[in-house]
Amino acid sequence: MIERIEKATEIRHWLGDMEADHYYYSSGIAGEKFFVALRDEGQILGAHCAACNLTYVPPRIYCEHCFAELTEYKDMGKRGCVVAFTIAHYDKAGHRLEPPEIFALISFGPCTTPLLHRLGEVEPEKICVGLEVEAVLKPKKDREGKITDILYFRPR
Amino acid sequence: MRDVAVLGVGATAFTSQTPEVNWKELIYDAAVKAYAEAGIDPRRDVDSFVTCAEDYWEGFSIFDEFTPDQLGGALRPTMTVCGDGLQGLATAYMQIKTGMFNIVVVEAHSKISELLTYEHIVELAFDPIYERPLSAEREVHPYYVAGLEMNLYLHATGTTEEQCALVAVHNRRQALNNPLAPYGARLGLQEIFHSGYAFTPLKKWEIASRADGCIVFVLAAGEIARRLTKKPLVYVEGIGWSSESPWISARSADASYARHAAQMAYRQAGITNPRRQIDVIEVEDRFAFKELQHLEALGFARPGEAGWLAQSGALGLDGELKVNLSGGSLGCGDLIEASGLQRALEIVLQLRGEAGARQVPNARVGVAQSWRGLPHGTGAVAVFARRD
Repeated sequence: MIERIEKATEIRHWLGDMEADHYYYSSGIAGEKFFVALRDEGQILGAHCAACNLTYVPPRIYCEHCFAELTEYKDMGKRGCVVAFTIAHYDKAGHRLEPPEIFALISFGPCTTPLLHRLGEVEPEKICVGLEVEAVLKPKKDREGKITDILYFRPR
Repeated sequence: MRDVAVLGVGATAFTSQTPEVNWKELIYDAAVKAYAEAGIDPRRDVDSFVTCAEDYWEGFSIFDEFTPDQLGGALRPTMTVCGDGLQGLATAYMQIKTGMFNIVVVEAHSKISELLTYEHIVELAFDPIYERPLSAEREVHPYYVAGLEMNLYLHATGTTEEQCALVAVHNRRQALNNPLAPYGARLGLQEIFHSGYAFTPLKKWEIASRADGCIVFVLAAGEIARRLTKKPLVYVEGIGWSSESPWISARSADASYARHAAQMAYRQAGITNPRRQIDVIEVEDRFAFKELQHLEALGFARPGEAGWLAQSGALGLDGELKVNLSGGSLGCGDLIEASGLQRALEIVLQLRGEAGARQVPNARVGVAQSWRGLPHGTGAVAVFARRD
């Protein structure tokens, strides 16, 4: 470049927005089963692949390993254990979160994919991999068929 | 089949902000340098142009249409790869290998300083039904997933927090030797720990800050390149890429995407013992632990061994493995989709003997690896070599 701007005050800029505020996301076949069971029965469902002996939580209609169509849904129960966790101290604006938010991967047993969710009613120092936890759901009347119908998992 | 050589490279310096130029001018700047080095006129000599970009990073839709003019590619074959620079390099490599084109330009850039809602765009990349609502209620920073994946990696391999923090110490220090890198610093282990947990066990200064910049590569069929220049050439000997499950919860602890990408590239390049055969290594380190995880995925260490290599001083200019001498993403900044081409640039400079204070003596074979970043599991690996 032959010449560059040398004074910051000579730099001009424009502000703009990406118009993508509103999307409609379908929950799909497996999602419909998962969220209806969560709302109405308080169940956490998984989909089982017999060929791979692997259960997907939340359920999917296909196995990512063998690509078979999955039709067998299982109630995973509400108890699991922590596979991994993190304590988040910052929000998107860079401000500190007080109290911090705790996220974990929760396994419902061997040969299942874990569920990403939050931990609650727990001292951060007491969390460890392997911690046994149970799901705390919203009261039935407040459930809307969303992943946040599960409030969090707490130690049991 | 014909081979593929690097005929020229050009790059801007990497900086946290670039308000004096717009994104097209940033690209033009790097392109002019690459064409001067290659000794070519893009309007006459280049057969095809590949850009690497993603609409959301750029701030407008159908970004593909905005790429020809600043590269000298108007009214020529152009295309955009929605991926990292190494994925664009792979596309150019294939275009030459097939014999369809002789000279192909690859461009990747970051003008991320102009995205005022970076964290929101990252969050938007999460699954909208199962994942996004969990952090949206309290506006949690989406990098929490890096903390989760670090915890998974530490638990699976026995790697320690101290070993991860050492990566940040090393790479920030190595960046002091790279004139393109904006984040060079002399930091001690203590200071990394004192920066505090951002997403436990991940510390604030183990996270790469973002940077603007642009890198342009001119690739040419070997027979064309050998005719155009008498200088020793660097060749692309192998290139691979792979994506793993997009579900955060079903992800591996060992960066399987990088392992598969490396296997593909190594097979083409005839690499059977990377630790012995490869002289310079650039792996993705947007979060410090990722360097160790990626070194293991690329076969430079067994699972859990990379941390010990860091601790014993084996990683770096004076160590056995010459890793991220450019400073990596921690030192050069997170260049978004340009991160992989920054790594490839460093390898090319090293193999040509043009890496200045950080030069590895007699480097002949190098590997560059990219990861597209959170929340996804896509990686690419390219092997470069000198043959003279």
